[in-house]
Amino acid sequence: MSGDRGSPDGGGHKDGYMIQFFKVYKTYPGNIKALANVSFKIEKGEFVFVTGPSGAGKTTLLKLIIRMERPDQGEILVNKRNLSRIKHSQIPLLRREVGFVFQDFKLLNNKTVYDNIALVLRALGYNKREIPKRARQVLKVVGLDERVLRQPPLKLSGGEQQRVAIARALANTPSIILADEPTGNLDPDLTVEILDLLEKVNNLGTTVVVATHNTGLVAQYRKRTIPLYRGEMAA
Amino acid sequence: MTASMGALSLFRRTFGVMKENGPAHILSIGTIAISFFLFAAFLLLPLNLTSLLEAWEKKVQIILYLKDGVEEQRILHLTGELQKEEGIREVRYISQRTAKESFERDLAGYGGVLKGVKEEIFPASLEIQMDERFRTPERIRALAARLRAIQEAEEVQYGGVWLERFSLFLYTLRWGVWILGGVLVAIIVSVTANTVRLTLYNKKSEIEILKLVGATDAFVKLPFYLEGGVQGLLGAGGSILLLLALFHFFSLKVAPYVSLYFGELRLSFLPPAMIAWILGIGVASGLLGGLLSLRKAAGI
Repeated sequence: MSGDRGSPDGGGHKDGYMIQFFKVYKTYPGNIKALANVSFKIEKGEFVFVTGPSGAGKTTLLKLIIRMERPDQGEILVNKRNLSRIKHSQIPLLRREVGFVFQDFKLLNNKTVYDNIALVLRALGYNKREIPKRARQVLKVVGLDERVLRQPPLKLSGGEQQRVAIARALANTPSIILADEPTGNLDPDLTVEILDLLEKVNNLGTTVVVATHNTGLVAQYRKRTIPLYRGEMAA
Repeated sequence: MTASMGALSLFRRTFGVMKENGPAHILSIGTIAISFFLFAAFLLLPLNLTSLLEAWEKKVQIILYLKDGVEEQRILHLTGELQKEEGIREVRYISQRTAKESFERDLAGYGGVLKGVKEEIFPASLEIQMDERFRTPERIRALAARLRAIQEAEEVQYGGVWLERFSLFLYTLRWGVWILGGVLVAIIVSVTANTVRLTLYNKKSEIEILKLVGATDAFVKLPFYLEGGVQGLLGAGGSILLLLALFHFFSLKVAPYVSLYFGELRLSFLPPAMIAWILGIGVASGLLGGLLSLRKAAGI
């Protein structure tokens, strides 16, 4: 099951697509091919796996969606924004619509769980009264007890840390959640827990894109996949 | 209200950042304070030496030693003529006898050291006091040159030579201060830039997360600019306080002894405008340091 291919103008689902790639190419310095001729569309509220072995271009694909990287060729549309045409000053606005979850959680271990979430909310302009309320809300969504708010992330288990990372990603109620190998550091039980959580988030209406090399996991969840191999879409 | 809350939050974040990297900031502020202390001290030095120079200029007089055998009447005539000269306030004739008596008074503690010395060996002279506005090194030199041309003049002496040298020294010092200032500003910019860079390095993960979640450039960068500015301000402020403390110590404990040798010292501290300039330079160089480090930090 692979992604649709088409042009920036085409398709009757135009308004229903959250992410669209049109013949995207990306090469890193040293002529390292990361993506070549990648085209797909992800609908609003869809749950999609981007699969492939290490070096297939999964992380590059996610980075392109939040404009951490720019394509050498091709067009990318995210929630109707054409990423080739947005100004540098508009990148933060794009990123506010996307929550990012990493394999290594990227939590600030010298801060408490609350501070990790509050940092994001502060940056996005939430006021002092809203921040604690919102932090408790997102923690509830990811199934964590309020008591963890005062603890540093390292005092939590791997699964709990990833839940905190998801809570942080959800803090601004994004339209999209991108997860780059979110279960890569977790044991099988916790992997299922986290995937279930992402599915729950998806059920709330958020588009979820999970990059993973774990084919077993993909098979288990029966979602649409965008398979990549050496930067190209596998047949 | 929102703007002031935003500013407050920005300052909180800046001080939070500085607190987390406390030892490096203390070291940096200390280095800036020492640099500014040197600069401020070098500003203070010519300021007070100028007043000292002015005090000495007030005391300066020209002594015209007369040749032997000049008649009394000619001396009186010469005195009268000189009194009419522009810039001369008073001309006092010191006869050979008066000169000897003055010497004897000065050397009274040394017993009869001048016993048997004839008054003829003491030259008669004219002590010339000048008007205040004529007590500049250039005018004193010009008058001394005119006096040397008088036929009866054996020698003309004035403190002007060392006053001129002192004045030149002050001029050099003033220029030196600005050169030193330039060097110190470069040091301050470099110190601040390195500390901010260290903070940036420590905050790399936080910055990365902030950028990913859509924090604006201003939100991410402003605390680091401000961090440099605050460092510069605290360093410059610290240097002023240190200098003020030393100035008071010098005024109370050392100046009275110096006055014994060099006459009354009227010391003054840096004027408020100069202090404001120093603080301003501190803030500006700190901000520049922050800017440079942010420019060097790729991807921020």
